Amino acid sequence: MEKILTRNIHKERSVSIDVYEAGGGYQALRKAVRSLTPDEVTDQVKKSGLRGRGGAGFPCGLKWSFMPKEKKKPHYLLCNADESEPGTFKDRLLMELDPHLVLEGCLASAYAIRADACYVYIRGEFVHAAGVLDRAVAEAYAKGYAGSNVLGSGWSCELVVHRGAGAYICGEETALMTSLEGERGYPRVKPPFPAQRGVWGCPTTINNVETLACVPSILERGPEWFAAIGPNERNSGPKLYCLSGHVKRPGVYEAAMGLPLGELIYDLGGGMLHADRPLKACIPGGSSVPVLAAAECDVALDFDSLVKAGSALGSAGIMVMDSSTCMVKALLRIAHFYAHESCGQCTPCREGTGWLERVLERIEGGSGRLEDIDLLKSVADNIEGNTICALGDAAAWPVQSFVKKFRDEFVAHVQAGKCTVLSHA
Amino acid sequence: MPKLTLDGREIDVQPGATILQAALSRGHEIPHFCWHPGLSIAGNCRICLVEVEKAPKLQIACQTQVQDGMVVRTASPRVEAARNAVMEFLLINHPLDCPICDQAGECRLQDNAVAHGTGISRYTEPKLALAKAVDIGEHVLLDQERCIQCSRCIRFCDEITGTSELAFFRRGERTVIGIWPGRRLDNPYSGNVVDICPVGALTLKEFRFQTRVWYLENTPSICAGCARGCNVLIATGRQRELMTTQGQQDDRIKRVVPRVNIEVNGHWMCDEGRLSFERLAVAPRLRQAESGGSAADYDEVVREAARALAAAAQAGRAGLLAGPRATCETLYAWRRLGSALGSLRGAVHAIERGADDELLLRRDKGANSRGAAWVLAPPTGEAGLLDAAARGEIDVLVVLGDALDPHDTPALPDAVRARVETLIYVGPFRDAAAEAARLRLPAAAWSEEDGSYVSFEDRVQLLRRARLAGGAARPGWRIAVDLALAAGVELPAWTQAADVLAAAAQDVRELDGLTEERIGLLGAPGGLAATAGA
Amino acid sequence: MFGVEFEKRVDAIVGRYPEPKAALLPVLWELQRANGWISPPCAEWAAARLGVSPAHVHGAVTFYTMYKQRPTGRHHIQVCTTLSCMLRGSDELLEHLRRKLGIHEGQVTADGRFSLQRVECLGSCGTAPMFQLNDDYHENLTLSAVDALLDRLP
Repeated sequence: MEKILTRNIHKERSVSIDVYEAGGGYQALRKAVRSLTPDEVTDQVKKSGLRGRGGAGFPCGLKWSFMPKEKKKPHYLLCNADESEPGTFKDRLLMELDPHLVLEGCLASAYAIRADACYVYIRGEFVHAAGVLDRAVAEAYAKGYAGSNVLGSGWSCELVVHRGAGAYICGEETALMTSLEGERGYPRVKPPFPAQRGVWGCPTTINNVETLACVPSILERGPEWFAAIGPNERNSGPKLYCLSGHVKRPGVYEAAMGLPLGELIYDLGGGMLHADRPLKACIPGGSSVPVLAAAECDVALDFDSLVKAGSALGSAGIMVMDSSTCMVKALLRIAHFYAHESCGQCTPCREGTGWLERVLERIEGGSGRLEDIDLLKSVADNIEGNTICALGDAAAWPVQSFVKKFRDEFVAHVQAGKCTVLSHA
Repeated sequence: MPKLTLDGREIDVQPGATILQAALSRGHEIPHFCWHPGLSIAGNCRICLVEVEKAPKLQIACQTQVQDGMVVRTASPRVEAARNAVMEFLLINHPLDCPICDQAGECRLQDNAVAHGTGISRYTEPKLALAKAVDIGEHVLLDQERCIQCSRCIRFCDEITGTSELAFFRRGERTVIGIWPGRRLDNPYSGNVVDICPVGALTLKEFRFQTRVWYLENTPSICAGCARGCNVLIATGRQRELMTTQGQQDDRIKRVVPRVNIEVNGHWMCDEGRLSFERLAVAPRLRQAESGGSAADYDEVVREAARALAAAAQAGRAGLLAGPRATCETLYAWRRLGSALGSLRGAVHAIERGADDELLLRRDKGANSRGAAWVLAPPTGEAGLLDAAARGEIDVLVVLGDALDPHDTPALPDAVRARVETLIYVGPFRDAAAEAARLRLPAAAWSEEDGSYVSFEDRVQLLRRARLAGGAARPGWRIAVDLALAAGVELPAWTQAADVLAAAAQDVRELDGLTEERIGLLGAPGGLAATAGA
Repeated sequence: MFGVEFEKRVDAIVGRYPEPKAALLPVLWELQRANGWISPPCAEWAAARLGVSPAHVHGAVTFYTMYKQRPTGRHHIQVCTTLSCMLRGSDELLEHLRRKLGIHEGQVTADGRFSLQRVECLGSCGTAPMFQLNDDYHENLTLSAVDALLDRLP
């Protein structure tokens, strides 16, 4: 497949607006504000089948259609650049090497939802990317792509880069809004939904960086073209896959939606890191999705295929574990992440994530009991579905899937009082 | 009206009501910690999760609005499992403080643990250790370990007082309630956070370790602290615990908390009012009649007082200076006594401090200054009466001592004391006016008599007696009846405060048609506009 | 407290939001840049400037892990140890740093040059193991590369 999202990243001075424009950049925005109505832009995105690339996979055009058609209050587009899902580093690539693709996507999308401003909420750790974006924003303003009366269209849109300060939970769309308002990043109970009452009480849409970066090409080349990429209209478009862990060539790979996992690992990724350590497990969508055992890894990396396989595409953060991996330690590390990142607002996640981590610490350290294994599942089951936001589920799914698929290893670890895998590595 | 099927029963629901509101209005309890009717919805405790037909996940009842035709189950195995789960999570780090925690007996965590917990903890890891008994304000102590992070206290300080002293610090399970170092929880309503805290994380210093709540008897009444007339519950020791080892009765007031009255004080009361009961103990009490500085037989002092008062009243040289915390009943009885004896020049002492605020506090600290104005309809103010007394126009001056605070009894200028022949004190305390009076008759203090007050909003509300006055002390209206008898004049055979109120309602236009029954626990509007046509 | 230039920068930041409170995170970043960490006077300054209580500010400072509640070393090393980095040797890297610097996470070396912090996924899983040193990412690390890097720093 030709490169669409990563077509510019290897160009010299790819971050500059001159290079971007020379490659055809900002034509899509021009087309949108000059010859399409906002609703027509939304229609095209709907037809393209574009689904959110932040983790939830919600149909993008549908999300935009929730916004009011009549302006009674300011509308806001929030670009979710808080990329913090373990295993994920694709948004960073786009922001650092092709910021104008992201900004054009933001502006065209802002136009579609009649936004008055777009805030790019970027995680605090991405200092370099924030700097690149700041300079790109200034360039966009200078050329009239942002600010008052964009390209003489009569529509105005401010563009602001807003840095977070270290909180995974702020990638959750309602927590992002709360954080943007100057509060602790607590998710909100829904309803109301952001499109009705979002940031500052106004209709708001939140989209992931990669999702927005798809919009210019949809407008340039048409929704049918986009929908034709990938296995079907519900799983369409170019996709950035993040490969990490025990592989020879970790990195971001662009391919048509539905890339086989095996092709990603063994072709693009150069195969397993050590020839004598075969694949043991793979988490295909960022640490929040259920783990796949090696036997389950013959699967296409698209939304529906992975759901069918009992996991999810999520943020497309593919983490590969070879035979040297202690699954107990791996799960402990994941559980530590969720306990560290839980905002603490609601009971099951606040108390449950800490509990899970402590039980796993005990097991990993050698003082586990056999009943701890069922206890882990029970605690995870008690968190799942009972929380304000999906972080609770995200903490539960790894525990449930690891215990289910690697139970023997957990039992052996408990009985031996130590890891029974590493002794072989 | 939307229809909700709640556990198989179809009910009508107010449009916009949540499942929880609909259930509670029918007396159908759904457990909840973080929801409070006076605050915004938080939805964080998750104990109120219920089954809503067609929704795949359980929904929180506190925030889910009822849609017409909604079917909800609050007692299914799925719901009970969720409640078990939430209770287990709440208890894993919660300290086993019940034996030393003031909240025991009125603790939502205890109640819900019994109702919805499994009774057995599977948690065998170390519990988080956090700060305990932290002094965060003049009246409030914080125990971070007991806190279940419901955020009620934070929402109170944000939404009701607008002072935002309290906030969450840190994240995840390390989250604690805290206060900015150097700042205090010192808004005038800080005590309310103790009421709303569902556990013993926020406790009142003045109540700490005083008693167990199951030893308390609660009497609904009205605060005497200012003209707002906040509805309260006065908590005293229960009858069977009254005898201490010395055989003395101990029905002291242990605490006063707000009683909900949406029309008057919502769910709140101010700290000054909450702790005003402590003022009852600042000066020695007058419980016996006294004459010339020494204890005397009550009936004898009544006779002497009646003689002097009758003579002065016939000559038009008798005066009555009433405090604005006297009940309507007491004031009416004295008005009737005065007319029966001849004439009695009345005036009402004004107590004013501070300013009105946007919440509850009133500058007028007289809880019944409105009622006094209606009942006595005094032709002159306090200054006028005292001037007349200083000029020698008053032979007998009766001072009704303040019912709550000895410092609020009117001070009598030297000129008045010099020119008035007989000063009669009728009140509960040995305050300055009592010391100046030759004849002293012991009256019940606030909380020791039934009666009524009228708030600054013209609302007539009932005080109920929470404890015995003790000794020979009795309500001020009874003393007026006793004096009438001794003076040989006719007053009706009133036996209880309700009788006096009924009589007053006949005579005082602003009270027309009001009876204790009509007033009830939540009060009723009085005043000319309200009672017109009654 | 910080001078006219600083206040002008803050004014410009506040102007980008419909309410002053929304500028809290960027203002805290400015304060941390100027002061090195969020000291109590910094928090009170932010509270007064944005119309919130100091407790509110402290709530944010303690929620977001990148705001420093005390001074760190001149070179603050934040080592990622989440799953992908763990699979590629983050734990050995962290242990190496502890031994080399003679400190644990949360501590500062006696000469004030280095401090160490264990952090969660930095979004650099493809170049693991790695750490963030002050603002900059250092990726594809080996123990010798780390030694070379740190030994060069002032």
